[in-house]
Amino acid sequence: MAKNKVPEWLNSSLWSATTATTSSSADDDRIQHYSKKHYATATESLDGPPVTFSPPAAIMEEPPRPSKPEIKIKDKDLRNGVSSDIDNNNCNSINNDEDNGTSYVRPSAAEDISRQAQLLTELSRKVVNMRELRRIASYGIPDGAGIRSAVWKLLLGYLPADRSLWSSELGKKRSQYKHFKEELLMNPSEITRRLEKSPVCENDEAKSESSGMLSRSQITHGEHPLSLGKTSIWNQFFQDTEIIEQIDRDVKRTHPDMHFFSGDTSFAKSNQEALKNILIVFAKLNPGIRYVQGMNEILAPLFYVFRNDPDEEMAACAEADTFFCFVELLSGFRDHFCQQLDNSVVGIRSTITTLSQLLKEHDEELWRHLEVTTKVNPQFYAFRWITLLLTQEFNFADSLHIWDTLLSDPEGPQETLLRICCAMLILIRRRLLAGDFTSNLKLLQNYPPTNISHLLYVANKLRAQPSG
Amino acid sequence: MVLVLALGDLHIPHRAADLPAKFKSMLVPGKIQHIICTGNLCIKEVHDYLKTLCPDLHITRGEYDEEMRYPETKTLTIGQFKLGLCHGHQVIPWGNLDSLAMLQRQLDVDILVTGHTHQFTAYKHEGGVVINPGSATGAYSSITYDVNPSFVLMDVDGLRVVVYVYELIDGEVKVDKIDFKKTTTTTHSAH
Repeated sequence: MAKNKVPEWLNSSLWSATTATTSSSADDDRIQHYSKKHYATATESLDGPPVTFSPPAAIMEEPPRPSKPEIKIKDKDLRNGVSSDIDNNNCNSINNDEDNGTSYVRPSAAEDISRQAQLLTELSRKVVNMRELRRIASYGIPDGAGIRSAVWKLLLGYLPADRSLWSSELGKKRSQYKHFKEELLMNPSEITRRLEKSPVCENDEAKSESSGMLSRSQITHGEHPLSLGKTSIWNQFFQDTEIIEQIDRDVKRTHPDMHFFSGDTSFAKSNQEALKNILIVFAKLNPGIRYVQGMNEILAPLFYVFRNDPDEEMAACAEADTFFCFVELLSGFRDHFCQQLDNSVVGIRSTITTLSQLLKEHDEELWRHLEVTTKVNPQFYAFRWITLLLTQEFNFADSLHIWDTLLSDPEGPQETLLRICCAMLILIRRRLLAGDFTSNLKLLQNYPPTNISHLLYVANKLRAQPSG
Repeated sequence: MVLVLALGDLHIPHRAADLPAKFKSMLVPGKIQHIICTGNLCIKEVHDYLKTLCPDLHITRGEYDEEMRYPETKTLTIGQFKLGLCHGHQVIPWGNLDSLAMLQRQLDVDILVTGHTHQFTAYKHEGGVVINPGSATGAYSSITYDVNPSFVLMDVDGLRVVVYVYELIDGEVKVDKIDFKKTTTTTHSAH
């Protein structure tokens, strides 16, 4: 489906942002509504001059309220320094996965290099200054040299600030994970065999006699395969099978468009295997929350970043590292996944209400229009935004960038997430105000491609000051 | 880790109405990969019930089975083990180890499962192992009225088989197990 020019009627505010590039339309065809990606953050620039390898950032049909940065970005008017840094040249791994290159606003190469240098300097200190690191990282982390992998590990508290402790910490954690895997991923046959290693050896001697009745022996602790007891390892095993099947299904559906995660290559299969193992170990270690659909989406970017670390040793141990970082990241958001807590103070409904309040504070007109006039219940769109940490709303590379800010902000991921969601609403306010229930819902559930730096800039501005 | 259920001689509806409730509560679908049944079900309803527990069902004909087309003997391979199945009324003297051993050598299997005597036994001889799961309903046999309901669940794991024996004694389910290893591997097509 090649579209050379976007027809006028398609530009109407009723439709989500159109994409003029051909491959993106093809992508749209492929995309299931489960996994929504916006590949083309690039649309044909409405004001003309094409950029050679990185088309300008998405210009939405109607200029968003603060419209100046959108167009001026090419002129490098970066007032705040929140800028996209995904360097098209560096982002080889990501580009290989996606059919068309992600396109970002290119700040000056100098900015990028300077940030990279700053981060590298910070990382190479004996004791990393976390505040400084957070400050630099919140502007975005460049893609090369495994910086993101190291920075995320620091931000999530997996690596201590003191560099000299790194190797011992890593060693400890990795062997702990290995231990978890051995313990938890064993099937009951093996478990019973290990429990009875010594007596069986004796029996083997006795059984070498050629014929006669086979001796019957006692079972230990009433453990047999058909046991219905709650503590029976067999029973637990069969109950876990259901969860394992669910995890398996979800892992297979994660990012079906990326070669890293999906396809027939042994690389993809080993990655899927790793994701599965992490989720199974997590589910077994956390019987209160087990596995909930969506955890695979939160896990995917972490594993992707760590596995693509250019340092081979780090990449080889990506599974163990990802496990602990996943636990850490999820710890702030666990309550969103627990159904019983839905209506409680810590549950997802309460968080959505907080978002609503935030919007009311910053943009009362929009809030009123959404909640009261068009009755668009925030649960319809914000639920996915919040529980999946915006991984489903933007394309993969964009969501990595958003996570840079999410993880590095000193206010904490949840606060930052809410601010970003609020900014997302404010950026399309023009269209929302013009729309009714159906069009608004449609728009919010398929958030149009947008300039991430701009989004983060607006989100930053929303920080603790009520403004228009 | 393959779970194989071995049972037989239910004699439903002629000598027993149904499996004991305690057995039925344990036998739920989804846990067992294969069922081998020595025979004497006797009616189709029992066949259908067993089919709900596990789609892979193997049956040999007992002398009272109403389905004429079950085979007299059957062999199958599960994991590293070759299993043979036969009702056992054909092997005389009934329940005699030497005669059964002959049948086992004939079928060339590691584990022979037969029934008819309604008594659980597990023998070992040079050729292999003979298991009789008894009667799952406790129906009376041609030989005796004193029958405890019993069946067998085998956990085939590589070269090792753990045989769990389930018996209903005085209204309580008693479980024992028997462990044995095979000494050599066989080359076979995967079952």
